[in-house]
Amino acid sequence: MRILITSASNDRSADLADHFAGRHEVRLTERAHVETEHEFVLSALGHDRSTNLLTRGIDAIVHSVESLPGEDASTQLDAATRGTYNLLMAAAEEGVSQIILLSTLELMAAYPSGYRVRETWRPLPNTQPPTLSIHLAEQISREFAREGSLGVKILRLGDVSNKTVADAVSEALAQPVPLAASCRSNESTAPHALSITHVGERPQ
Amino acid sequence: MNVLILGGTGMLGPYVARELAPAHNLRITDVNPPKDDLPGEFLHLDAADLDGVVAAAEGMDAIVNLSVLRRDRRIAWDVSTRGCYNMMQAAVTHNIRRVINTGPHYTVAGPNVTECFDYDIGPDIPPQSGTNIYAITKSMGLEICRVFTQHHDINVQTYLFYNFKDPEAIQPGDHYAPYVISWENAAEVFTLGLDIELNALPSNCEVFFVFADMPHGKFSNEKTKRILGFQPRQDVEILWK
Repeated sequence: MRILITSASNDRSADLADHFAGRHEVRLTERAHVETEHEFVLSALGHDRSTNLLTRGIDAIVHSVESLPGEDASTQLDAATRGTYNLLMAAAEEGVSQIILLSTLELMAAYPSGYRVRETWRPLPNTQPPTLSIHLAEQISREFAREGSLGVKILRLGDVSNKTVADAVSEALAQPVPLAASCRSNESTAPHALSITHVGERPQ
Repeated sequence: MNVLILGGTGMLGPYVARELAPAHNLRITDVNPPKDDLPGEFLHLDAADLDGVVAAAEGMDAIVNLSVLRRDRRIAWDVSTRGCYNMMQAAVTHNIRRVINTGPHYTVAGPNVTECFDYDIGPDIPPQSGTNIYAITKSMGLEICRVFTQHHDINVQTYLFYNFKDPEAIQPGDHYAPYVISWENAAEVFTLGLDIELNALPSNCEVFFVFADMPHGKFSNEKTKRILGFQPRQDVEILWK
């Protein structure tokens, strides 16, 4: 399997690349240059042909929304929303079969402590860019799944180790969600093109 | 009331400025200068410029966001999504409680809410814009507004439009969308939005469909009439009569 991992400058993405490199072909990408022993493609995730080339031949994308040092709030938000949209649009056009979005359980932190919060509950983001950005990335991913152009798995991560994240991503890769268009013939039992999984404990 | 209008020199902006000018002090901003004389003060401003939007909002009582860019895949995000974030940050910074945002009807009613099959489509359906660039960037802007209203004492009214017409230019038999309004009639809703007591609104984040009364019943403007007191003109009826 060929896997594209975004936000390569982030430690978690680097660890994911190391984890999968033995069994899969791994390509890393980032908006700034990153020194790595893995295949690396510098990409601003723009709407030009380069993002299509970035995703061409890729089977699965593990997408993280992470800011770069020195970015102001407005820029962080823009990079997260526009970059996610361009990446997913290119992925849909290039026939990428699976998107795994690494989100955060911070989105559910505002629920009272002691509540058993499920994946189906409404996210309660705050207005700060790290949380608001990933919330909007979830919303954008949802629309691609709704239209049936991509199967999307969202992993909302608590305070867990990179090993736990790698295991969760491995499990997600092994059980791809179907495209919505392929499951319309049997709505009563069909799985959805969007799935959300909570990994670890939510902050309270 | 001191009113900041973002994107005020576009297609709808001049109509809104002329509608509001008799009762309000206007600060109109845009990346393009006004084509005609507009009332109020004009500032050159890109809605994607956070510091610029925050500075422009100083001393304002309300913000009206008319900024729009439909097709460019970079600028659409700058204007419709980032612009909303910047606007809401400006409202927080200057304690501005009244914000009026705008967009197309498919900010909430995307391709899965079909005009072909459904009737009485209202503005309070769960937003489902689809991936059309104009729709999804405005939808993310709406979501940003909604999140800010959950955390700050700010009231956002979002007015959604579809198709504008100049009544004098309509020819019998012209094609029309199932959600039409004249430019002048559209502008009138902004007066209502600035006048309404904020505690008369059901929540801090309300969406309204703004269009003329149309006989086919595809969309519903009932909420806009009931809550804002909007009065549709009968100036586009030649389209179907």
